[in-house]
This record gives sequence, structure tokens and C-alpha cells, in this order.
Amino acid sequence: MAKQLPDYSGPFNPNFNQGQLSRETLGKLLTAYSDYIRKLDGHWYLSVMQKCGNGTAFECDSEVWEEMAAYTIRTTCELLNIRGDDVEAFLKAMQVNPWTLMYKCKIELVNKDHGFITFYDCPTLEALEREGGRRWETICNDLEVRLMDVKAHAINPRIKTNPIKLPPRQPGSELCCRWELKLER
Amino acid sequence: MTRLLKDYSGPFDPEFSHAKLERETLLAILRENSDYLRRLDGQWYVTVMQMCGNDAAFECDVKIWEKFILYELKATTDLLNIHGDDVATVVKAMQATPWMWIHDRTFELKDQSHAVITYRNCPTQVYLEKEGSGREKQICHVLERRLFEMTAHYFNPRIEVTALKLPPREKGSRISCQWEFKLDR
Repeated sequence: MAKQLPDYSGPFNPNFNQGQLSRETLGKLLTAYSDYIRKLDGHWYLSVMQKCGNGTAFECDSEVWEEMAAYTIRTTCELLNIRGDDVEAFLKAMQVNPWTLMYKCKIELVNKDHGFITFYDCPTLEALEREGGRRWETICNDLEVRLMDVKAHAINPRIKTNPIKLPPRQPGSELCCRWELKLER
Repeated sequence: MTRLLKDYSGPFDPEFSHAKLERETLLAILRENSDYLRRLDGQWYVTVMQMCGNDAAFECDVKIWEKFILYELKATTDLLNIHGDDVATVVKAMQATPWMWIHDRTFELKDQSHAVITYRNCPTQVYLEKEGSGREKQICHVLERRLFEMTAHYFNPRIEVTALKLPPREKGSRISCQWEFKLDR
């Protein structure tokens, strides 16, 4: 078996690809690229906001994510062989999707049909708080509420999502948002 | 030692993290993330284009990527310890970007100061050809040229970038574009 590289500091290799890197390095890349995805999305929003206003940017964001959210869950399930149509399958997909590495979150499964997701220190909310324009009202309290539904419904349209806690957060609190997921049989 | 997982088909694990996945699985996720990035970026472009017109979308795209390419290069070169100021270093960084899996490319390094990069069946170009609006004139001729120059100049402002082939491609040809990087010492 070829030696796995800790990095690409050596000479040019015409056939280089990430498959030649060590497991540890692949893990680091995954974390870095998770942030990359978040930043790219944020840059698009801000760029459209500056050019066409927040209303248009939010409209575009909603349209992009209503398309991408279900795709994210579907491809994650396929890739990681996550099967099932219950809350357990949904929470597993939420643990693995490309965004998770950027978020400090606690995912609790009460039983196969009932669970909670709690996000702490969300970098998006932090950016919105710094900005000070109350954009969290649309991003977190409107769009994210709709998107949690879209994501859950990619697993099962009967899963009910309930935002227990949404921004604004109390001063000094780490907790950004908390969600309850329930499947009524 | 804990056994590494090849997927996440087993029961919900409250302590799940990507560190529990085996190397091949991490690699598969990185591959998928490459395509995910392309889709997310493309979805934003097309959505803004439909809402505000192509000029606004292109203007946003340029603004985003002129900033983002620098972030991408810093993240990739820091993580993979790629350093230097010659063409070989530029090519190494290009081989290792988060987009690497979606492109069929060959890198010919003639010497440390001279290389030719050829892209085949570029998925963005294939999409643009299908769309038939001629947008490749902007995306490939203007933006990509600018981004290749910025990539080269990140390492050394004296590196010259020449487009040897650009869209439209000849009938039946797989080559989407071809670029020469040269540093005259």
C-alpha cells in the first residue's frame, strides 16, 4: 500500500489527489471545507444584499435553500447508508451533513420517533449579532424554521418540527436555537 | 482501539463524529462535498440571474470569487503545507483545491517554472453549453482567466497566465479549456 501523506509539501506529483493523504489530514480538510461551504453561502448572500438589497438577497437565499436543503439530506443519507423514515434517521443525517462540522450542537434521541437538536455558538448567528441589523429575524426565525421542515420532510413528511428556542438569545447565553422533532404514528 | 465505521447505518450514536469514520468514507464525503460546492455556487448564480438578471449575477459572482479565491488558496496551502513561489507550487495548490473531484484535469509540469493545465468535460461548461445563452464568454473567458491569474499571483506576481484554449470547444472535443503558466526568471 502506498504511503499516506500528512500533507503535500513534497515535489509535484502529476497524479496527486486527496486519496493519497492520511486519515488525519482528510479529517482536517473536511472541517476546513465545511467552513468553506458556509463562507461561500454567506458571501453570496452579502454580495446580493449589497447589490440588490436585503429583500432580494433573502428571497434568493430562500429559493436556493429550499432546493439545497432536501438535496443535502438525501445525498448525506445515500453516502452514509442512513436508512429509515423516523426521527432517528433524520438526526443521524443531521449529525453527518456537510454543515455539522462548523456547528457546536447537541443531538438527543429520546426514542426513534422523538428527539431534540440544540445549536450553541452558531457562527452565522454570531455574524448576524455582530452586524446588528436584526437579520436573524428572517434568517433564523423565518427561513431556518421552514428549512428544518424541508430537511425533516426529506426523511418523512410526517415528522413535525417545533422550534422551542430561537434568537434573540439572552446576553451571555451560548444557546442559539433548539428544536424538537416528533413523528406521530 | 475502536473500530472505524465504513458508514452510519448502525443505530444513533449521541457521540457520533466524523473522527469515527474510516479513511475511505472521509474521502467519499470530500468527493461529495466537491460536487456540493459546485451545486451551491451554481444554484446561487442561477437564482440571482433569474431574479435580477445576468449582469447582476455575474457582478456578484466576480466580487465573491475575487475575495474567495484568496481564502481558498490560503486554507488549502496552510492545511497541506504547500509553499513556494514557482509554477510547480501554483500547480500543486490547484491540484488540491476543494473542487478537485469535479474536474477531469491534467497537469503537465514541464519544469518548475512552466506548466500546462488542461480541463476536460468541465461540468460548468457542459451546463452552459446546454443552456445555450453564451454565458461561457463571461464565466470562462473573463472570470476564470481573472481567477487563474489571481491564483498564480498569490504565489508570485511575475507568473504569466495564458489561455491556450477557451470555449466554445470544437465539435467532439473533450477539452474545455487549456492554460499555460510560465515564470521567466
